[in-house]
Amino acid sequence: MKRFKISPPVAALFLAVVLFLLSGFLPNSYGSNVKVALSQATNIIRLAVFLGVIAAGQTLVIISGFEGIDLSAGSIVTLTAILTYVMVKGEDNVVLPALLVSLVVGAIIGMLNGIGVTFLKISPFVMTLGMSGVVTGAIIIINHGNVSGKVAPIMTRLIARPISQSIPIPGAIVIWLIFGVLMWLLLERTTFGKNLFAIGVNRVTAKLSGVNVTGMNLATYSLAGLLAGFGGFLVVGNTGVVLIQLGQPFLFPSIAAVAVGGTLLSGGKGSYWGSMAGAIVLTLITSLLTTMQMPDSVRRMVLGGTLLILISIYGRQQALRQ
Amino acid sequence: MKKRITWDFLMARYPAFFPLILLVLSIAVNLFLQPNMFVRETLNSNMRVFLPLIILAVGQAIVLLGGGIDISVGGVVSIINTILATRVGLDGSSEKMWQFVLISLVAGALAGAINGFFIAYLRLQPIITTYATSFLYAGLALFILPNPGGGIPADIANLYRTSTPLGLPLAFYVIVILLLIWMYVSSTRYGKYLFAVGGKADAAYETAVPVTRVQFSIYVISGFMAALAGIAITMLSGSGNAEIGSSMTLNSITAVVIGGNAFSGGIGGVTGPVMGAVTLSLIQNIISFGHINTWWETLVKATIIVVALAAPGVINLIRRRRV
Amino acid sequence: MAKSLSARNIVKRYGGVVALSDGNLDVSTGEVVALIGANGSGKSTMSKVINGVVVLDGGQLLLDDKPAYFSSPQAAKNMGIATVFQELSLIPQMTVAENIWLTREPMTAFGTVNRILIKDKTEQLLSLFRGTYKTDLRPDDPVASLPPDEKQLIEILKAISFDPWMIILDEATASLDSRQVQRLFELIGAWKEADKAIVFISHRMEEIFSIADKYSVLRNGKTVGAGDMKDIDDKELVKLMIEKESVFSFSRADSKNGKKEKPVCLEVKDLRTDSLHGVSFSVHEGELVGIGGLRGQGQRDLLLSLFGDVPYSGTVNLFGNEIRLRHPREAMKLGMALVPGDRAREGLLYIRSILENLQLPSWAQYGFPLRIGKAKRDAEQAGASLNLKMAGLQEPVSSLSGGNAQKVVLGKWLMRKPKLLLLDDPTKGVDVGTKAEFYALLTQLCSEGKTILFYSSTDEELVGLCDRVLVVHDGLIRTELSGASLTKENLIGASLGVSNEGVR
Repeated sequence: MKRFKISPPVAALFLAVVLFLLSGFLPNSYGSNVKVALSQATNIIRLAVFLGVIAAGQTLVIISGFEGIDLSAGSIVTLTAILTYVMVKGEDNVVLPALLVSLVVGAIIGMLNGIGVTFLKISPFVMTLGMSGVVTGAIIIINHGNVSGKVAPIMTRLIARPISQSIPIPGAIVIWLIFGVLMWLLLERTTFGKNLFAIGVNRVTAKLSGVNVTGMNLATYSLAGLLAGFGGFLVVGNTGVVLIQLGQPFLFPSIAAVAVGGTLLSGGKGSYWGSMAGAIVLTLITSLLTTMQMPDSVRRMVLGGTLLILISIYGRQQALRQ
Repeated sequence: MKKRITWDFLMARYPAFFPLILLVLSIAVNLFLQPNMFVRETLNSNMRVFLPLIILAVGQAIVLLGGGIDISVGGVVSIINTILATRVGLDGSSEKMWQFVLISLVAGALAGAINGFFIAYLRLQPIITTYATSFLYAGLALFILPNPGGGIPADIANLYRTSTPLGLPLAFYVIVILLLIWMYVSSTRYGKYLFAVGGKADAAYETAVPVTRVQFSIYVISGFMAALAGIAITMLSGSGNAEIGSSMTLNSITAVVIGGNAFSGGIGGVTGPVMGAVTLSLIQNIISFGHINTWWETLVKATIIVVALAAPGVINLIRRRRV
Repeated sequence: MAKSLSARNIVKRYGGVVALSDGNLDVSTGEVVALIGANGSGKSTMSKVINGVVVLDGGQLLLDDKPAYFSSPQAAKNMGIATVFQELSLIPQMTVAENIWLTREPMTAFGTVNRILIKDKTEQLLSLFRGTYKTDLRPDDPVASLPPDEKQLIEILKAISFDPWMIILDEATASLDSRQVQRLFELIGAWKEADKAIVFISHRMEEIFSIADKYSVLRNGKTVGAGDMKDIDDKELVKLMIEKESVFSFSRADSKNGKKEKPVCLEVKDLRTDSLHGVSFSVHEGELVGIGGLRGQGQRDLLLSLFGDVPYSGTVNLFGNEIRLRHPREAMKLGMALVPGDRAREGLLYIRSILENLQLPSWAQYGFPLRIGKAKRDAEQAGASLNLKMAGLQEPVSSLSGGNAQKVVLGKWLMRKPKLLLLDDPTKGVDVGTKAEFYALLTQLCSEGKTILFYSSTDEELVGLCDRVLVVHDGLIRTELSGASLTKENLIGASLGVSNEGVR
């Protein structure tokens, strides 16, 4: 692995800025209007919030090593979004219970992933992929026909609108910033975080130094599920509608975001700040493609190619011959 | 002191044992629900539906044997389908069809070579690399054919559907040929290399096995087989759809796992996965026949897959507890 | 086929660690050259350079005095050089026959492997060691089902199966019993007659003096001496291997007085694991007890099971209370500590910082959110007390030399003030200066009342440091040596075990 002098999150942010500046040259863009540019930038970041939150759980499982990944995140987002939608029905006072349900449901699905990975020794990729099929099956059952529901005003107020008249920052961004700080605390200032990095680097050393590797694994996947549930709650609060494919478009970019942010896909090293910067980069790319009116197929190819390039830079394993 | 004849020993020597039992069981259940299963028409109809997955499973089996995994197979199937549907079209000529069949096989091998390059030569992780290319390939398929449509000449599709040389389904012959080829390959030096690289790559390297080349080759084979499967499924459906391959990836992995191949590599073969693919297809058949509420079908099928993937792990867990 | 191989001034680095700085070797046909050196001296690296597994960073290889370059193991093989490794290069799921003939299988006209011919040729090779096998060894057996000594024999057969002119035996006798070693030496004699060249890497003096014609000594990555075996004796060889006459010049003094009156710290009865067949002993507080014996006789299992990492049957009492540990966490809570045998794979988080390595078991005591400042201060203190040479706590532990890295492994436990320390070959790959610091440290800890149980593959350490040594052979404690009987000769004798009937 090449050693960069700049830390990856900073490099990612730099990339985001460059991409944004380049986008100014496109037609229908902000041109040289600073005010419009700022508002567009804020919009991008606001869009990036949802990807960022969904990338949080992904960050955790990837740091935990052993080819950790969570492919069920997309379907968990859809499921919890639907559950919230159906539960809330426009009433403010059901919002908190709905949030709790989202978190718990997400955590349960995550826990099932964790059990399969830890006790049944199924590869995380395959386990979470299989689980995502099961969750999708559940979604179809819940959703057959159309679901009726409505998002509560307080959710839209907090998530989609700015905090107040004087501060034009959307609530979602503030939520994300607080979330980011909490994630940093979790990773760098708790025993859980230290142990997470430890098992990501070397599970044998971790166990022989007293870390409960099995427990950590279960906790990590459950937490990832919970965070995806939170993501679903936020997403429905922003869009106000639910679709079968609501969460799926976030899945691949969430993994790419983590990779851009400098978290090693082999585990043991990384940060959530990096994933946040990565989420902004990925959202920029997607939004640029939309502005250029590129079809979904091009979006997919660009994303696939981007991840491929990223892992070629960041993800080289040890050579056979040293 | 006696050598340890353990379950591992048995599974290593006769990996197709367990999937055989499963296959027999699923045939029995299927027979019960569909008594005319072995009648020529029904058998032919079933086999040609199963064939694409069987072919895909063969390719995936070889990749897993060699210590890798290929998540992009579904994407390659889709690309082949869209190429055939658009380039040949419903009114294409037979020559054009066969021309593009050849091109498809090359394309599949090329797609596999791309995977092989990144994994064997740049030494990237197989799972994440083929995940990235799966997106790339799926996007390409969608680009070639944004909306379902197009197709292949009706008489070629009919050829596939109705061919029963000597009374047996065409699919049957394909399977037999594939198995024969595997029997040959597994007794060549290359076959030994495959097991060695999948079993313990560093030991193979120290024994001067050309590990990198072997690792590259398994992805080319997988891409080729995916293209073959794409041709089969196009002949089956007769039309084009860019999403046609998306569910096949997980199915192919499940079929190989049911078939007794170790996820880590070096154990198993191709016979088991073929049986696994048939078993999985039969199970999906059973569900369709079982008159389950349509809404529940997806959930049930997905749960079966998870159970199938979990089964080896559960068995191992029980064994370890007993010891 | 060549007649001689020379290695001149070989340099090899692994990342920041220099394994070889000046390696030299001369081998010719018809002789056995012993490559000798302490653990970590660069012996294994030397053999890996010669057979092309690693790239050399400096120096030259000469075949018949002409420069040669091995670009891969295949290249070395083509030149007729075969190696029998320490870490086996066998594929566990494949059979004995498949493993021996891998890449060189006899073929049929159809391009497939000739099963019958392979079986015959394998039987021929297997017959070379007939009579020394413990099981009924057949060509079709999967290697995974064989015991370690037979795996090693297959490894040897694999090497000679392509009739090389030079054979490197890298600690090949480590897992063999005496009958098998004897037969191997007979074969080596035959190979010499057949004009082959043999490089024999070993740390067992008796074997070296029994089989070698010439010697070459490596110390800390440099070749420090070479010559004919008949011109040297074992004491001088040992002197070449270590820098000072004796690293144990500090006196153990009266540290032994009053030891037996102290209460019993650890009592073990009939401990059994996969490789232990009923071990019983007891250790008093403040004792420094050594475990001896050749590697792989169960010592590692002993320490790991005491620490809760390996399941066992039997009784273990700690300070009078019976314990049954299921996880190292529980052992830690009872005041135990384990320094594992493989530093890079079991003792350290290689890419993380020194701080995180030192505090790995101890974060829970720093509260929530973690008081990093205090953690840093405690870590610095621990590092200072061990004389740890580092650029800073934030540096990755991979930037440290072997000796300093080992200090981190030790330090992370000493910070917790453990009462019982289990050490698995703690000075492996550590330079001599640091070794001396460790010896002083261990003795000091014992005088403070801590108990130490430690395994070492270096006989001098056990003789120089320990109050008592329990010699393990074949999963049982064969002898206990202490006081006057604790000498190197007795250790070696006990390590080789009593007679071997081939029955476990």
